Amino acid sequence: MDEQDLINRVRAGDGIAERALYDAHVDRVYRLAYRLAGDDALAQDFTQETFIRAFAKLDTFRGDSALSTWLHAITTTVVLNGLRKVKRFHKREADLEAADGVSGGRREAEPDLKARLRQAIDALPHGYRTVFVMHDIEGFTHEEIGVALGVETGTSKAQLSRARAKLRESLADFAGEWVS
Amino acid sequence: MMHDNDETKFDQWLQDAAKTYNAPPRPTPRDEMWARIEAERARRAARPVLALRPWLRWGLAAAALLVLGIGIGRWTAHHQTDAGGGTVAAADTAGNGVVYQVAATQYLSRTETFLTGFRADLRAGRVDTRFNGQARDLLTTTRLLLDSPAADDPRMRALLEELELVLAQISQLEAGRDKRNADLITQDMDQHSVLPKLRSAIPAGPVPLRTQGAT
Repeated sequence: MDEQDLINRVRAGDGIAERALYDAHVDRVYRLAYRLAGDDALAQDFTQETFIRAFAKLDTFRGDSALSTWLHAITTTVVLNGLRKVKRFHKREADLEAADGVSGGRREAEPDLKARLRQAIDALPHGYRTVFVMHDIEGFTHEEIGVALGVETGTSKAQLSRARAKLRESLADFAGEWVS
Repeated sequence: MMHDNDETKFDQWLQDAAKTYNAPPRPTPRDEMWARIEAERARRAARPVLALRPWLRWGLAAAALLVLGIGIGRWTAHHQTDAGGGTVAAADTAGNGVVYQVAATQYLSRTETFLTGFRADLRAGRVDTRFNGQARDLLTTTRLLLDSPAADDPRMRALLEELELVLAQISQLEAGRDKRNADLITQDMDQHSVLPKLRSAIPAGPVPLRTQGAT
């Protein structure tokens, strides 16, 4: 079925079409939510909220962009707002871990490159991290990111470049891994 | 300092290495989420229309405040006949304060009761689903208060934000499966003295009487 037909049927209140639309997009929405949230329960909550809002606001979708782009814009809004709410909680957890000596910044204390990479990405400013995750990990184009985040394409490119520069800096002591 | 060639190598390496970053550990739980979406949409649809239209809700709240403010102003003017013309205006402002203070006090009392019960049940080894619903209700009130003049006081705002966090976490607990997370929540509450702060924010006596006595 053509996507526009599907949208029209959803607008007309067709429950089967709603489920079909959900099935067509849920994987990418959930994956993006998970990549940004790093937590299954949060990712599910954000995905759920994304679709609830999308169904409620589908009448306002004018078709200027692809439905997936519109959905990802809702997803990023929901996720980033939601993460702001839980940010303080995560900070407390990190403080507790640091106090317990669980996570050290030095290489001797944390030899696992994967863990260090994760820490470095987590430590990026929100905007940089979002663009990095969307572009380098999830494969969104700068145009899609621009629409989703409501920024210019150039801004997305600049943020990605700065994100990579920060990661290079953070992971400098692992230089042998990629220079060789 | 890295050369361009190294930067390109790094970017390629980074893209590969980062694939594992926050990778979902299992396939999308489609049916599980769909069931929750349907239930949540049904729940929201069943809510009164007022709850769905924030502008109308705030408009009605403002109208109610106005009526209450006028009432309190008249009451104050009646009881302070020897005061000057500025009394009514001052009473209107005080009236708004009374309304928000009453609402905040009721909310703080309910939250204190709820969190005390939650902690007690947890200690007894119970993580009950009824807590989720109550936490969600209180969370809604918390957010309304955060957007209201009640949160103008920095200490009250800090407390409300703290409670918002705790309630949001409790509302996401799954019955019987989240003992560890529930323990973390209560540890966090204890560490940040949430209940003592909450208790100290609740006035000892009936708020309207105390405030009226002060004006």
